[in-house]
Amino acid sequence: MIAEESAPPGERAVVDGTPPVTELPEGEIPSGGPGHAVLAGVVPVLLGLVTMWLARDLGLGTLTDPGPGLWPMIVAVLVLLTGVGILLRARQATDTEAFTRGAVVVVIAAASLALYAFLFELVGFEIPTVLLLVLWLKFFGNENWRTTAVVSVVATAAAYALFITALGVPLPHLIAI
Amino acid sequence: MDLAPVLSGFAVVFEPQNLLYCLIGVTLGMLVGVLPGLGPAATIAILLPITYGIDPAAAVILLAGIFYGAQYGGTITSVLLRLPGEASSVVTAIDGYQMARQGKAGSALGIAAIGSFIGGTGSIILLTLVAPFVANFALEFGPAEYTILALIGIFLIATLGNGTLIKSIAAAGVGLILATVGLDPIVGTARFTFGSDQLADGIDFVIVAMGLFGVGEILYNLEHRLRPQPAVLSFGRAIPTRLEWLGARLAILRGSVVGFVLGVLPGGGATMSSLVAYAVEKRSAKDPSRFGKGAIEGVAGPESANNAAATSSFIPLLTLGIPANATMAVLFGALLLQGIPPGPQLIVDHPDVFWGVVNSMYVGNILLLLLSIPLIGVFVRLLKVRAAILAPLTVLITMIGVYSIRNNVFDMFLVVALGLVGYGMKKLGFEPGPFVLAFVLGELLESSFRRSMRLFGGDLGGFVQRPVSAVLVAVFVLTVVVVPVLRAVRGRQAARAEREVVGV
Repeated sequence: MIAEESAPPGERAVVDGTPPVTELPEGEIPSGGPGHAVLAGVVPVLLGLVTMWLARDLGLGTLTDPGPGLWPMIVAVLVLLTGVGILLRARQATDTEAFTRGAVVVVIAAASLALYAFLFELVGFEIPTVLLLVLWLKFFGNENWRTTAVVSVVATAAAYALFITALGVPLPHLIAI
Repeated sequence: MDLAPVLSGFAVVFEPQNLLYCLIGVTLGMLVGVLPGLGPAATIAILLPITYGIDPAAAVILLAGIFYGAQYGGTITSVLLRLPGEASSVVTAIDGYQMARQGKAGSALGIAAIGSFIGGTGSIILLTLVAPFVANFALEFGPAEYTILALIGIFLIATLGNGTLIKSIAAAGVGLILATVGLDPIVGTARFTFGSDQLADGIDFVIVAMGLFGVGEILYNLEHRLRPQPAVLSFGRAIPTRLEWLGARLAILRGSVVGFVLGVLPGGGATMSSLVAYAVEKRSAKDPSRFGKGAIEGVAGPESANNAAATSSFIPLLTLGIPANATMAVLFGALLLQGIPPGPQLIVDHPDVFWGVVNSMYVGNILLLLLSIPLIGVFVRLLKVRAAILAPLTVLITMIGVYSIRNNVFDMFLVVALGLVGYGMKKLGFEPGPFVLAFVLGELLESSFRRSMRLFGGDLGGFVQRPVSAVLVAVFVLTVVVVPVLRAVRGRQAARAEREVVGV
């Protein structure tokens, strides 16, 4: 029931082929340079400043009677301080990752999801879903056309069955069953 | 203690539909542990909208099953591929993979499964005894206590996570800011909505969790998608020999205790407990030099510990309403979605949910033992499923799931934007965990703080004048001092473990 075909129960397990060479995934990703480390500090500083500016307009009130802006202001100051702290330690930081050429794929992927959301209400969910899956399977995943076609059509049908038929979610759709 | 509610909890568990949800949950958990890419927090986040319509006890039984099931599944990749699926299985890879290379993969997986079962089950029993007392004690808490408690929770998660201390605090801070979007909880002024009606109700927690954990992780994995598939070591039965069992049984016991105790603490309970359990085993062994070369205690101890910790990390969520880790933060959201605020009143107001979920873990652990000993071959075969097919399916479920929360396309744009935020955070070294957790606790923290300030007439000293909150303040101060020391110790150990895994 559990034995792999090649190894009968109780027998010493065998390594198939050559001993596998595995690397921890971290080893493959180049770490980001000082630019990334500085960016990691600049973002919280800017977020802190913008929030402080917006929070002041909301009205701080007093400690006895806190206004809507007091709490965001306290947190914004904290975020600002951590950002400054990160900037001060930016030289020694080694915990960022470089944006590789793969980052382009990430941007396209995010754009495709936004486009999906946009088309979704206009033309129903079926066509955008098939198109999204084709893009991800064929162009991001390097699957062959046959797998792409089968998976994208079957998955769209399954999503229809799960969300519309079984869960009763009012998804905008073309095909009425 | 009164046993009646505990026993009626079993009646909830043995309703056929709940047994089914438990089975689905733990099976999904095993899958998530085995398959690359998504962790348990992301999976639970993605499934939240689907569980919306299910009865509360069943929904939480299902989602909890995913969490502790993933602890079992993560071991498989650690042992067979030396690729720890979860941070809590990193140390298992050291001796587990060596055992697999010596042809003892079956023993390693078997002892891990048995250890996980014992650790998990022991932890449920202790949880059953401890939780009602903690909840009872916490019923007295007022806004001042909750302010400090939420602060302790956020601080511990930020500091015990994997990222740099200051970056985790920054991430938590941004999470707190995002939580203030929407109407002010006390006076009702619109804050940070930029005039948009869509943001007036605030940002739904589910969208934040799905964006940062779900979409963020998928986008992150897309960037490095061309990773060669390593060969899987094959093996016979996943059953240890009698001699191996005798060698490992004390390690299982010690690991379970370490796991239970550390799991209760907010922060990386499961990860930290597995590292500590490994250190304990190495120290108490007669011949420590065997470690790193396939010592079975090095698998048994950490695996028992991470499961015990996974179970005991439910205690702070179910009794205080303070999630102990990222996955618990998502479960916090799940309970809120079901209209059940997590906190000390949970055990009194919804005993069926509380005891149903707790007792379902006994059944879940038995099911997992079956899945990971006789049926392990099925899951090992799944290691060959390609991430290239999984990612698009996951993203599809996420997008449609997000829409289904409010039948609103705006939320889909929001989840993509938060996904990009999550991706950027990972690239720049910020953990998404503290962000999501702080977001969850943000409203509780702000409203408790503001109520306390009114109560104390604007005097911050009020926090140390109430006895219980004063004790909590002391605990907070203590953690601020103790935690950096713990981090330093753990950092050294983790670095050593990583070196040994890489085999330098």
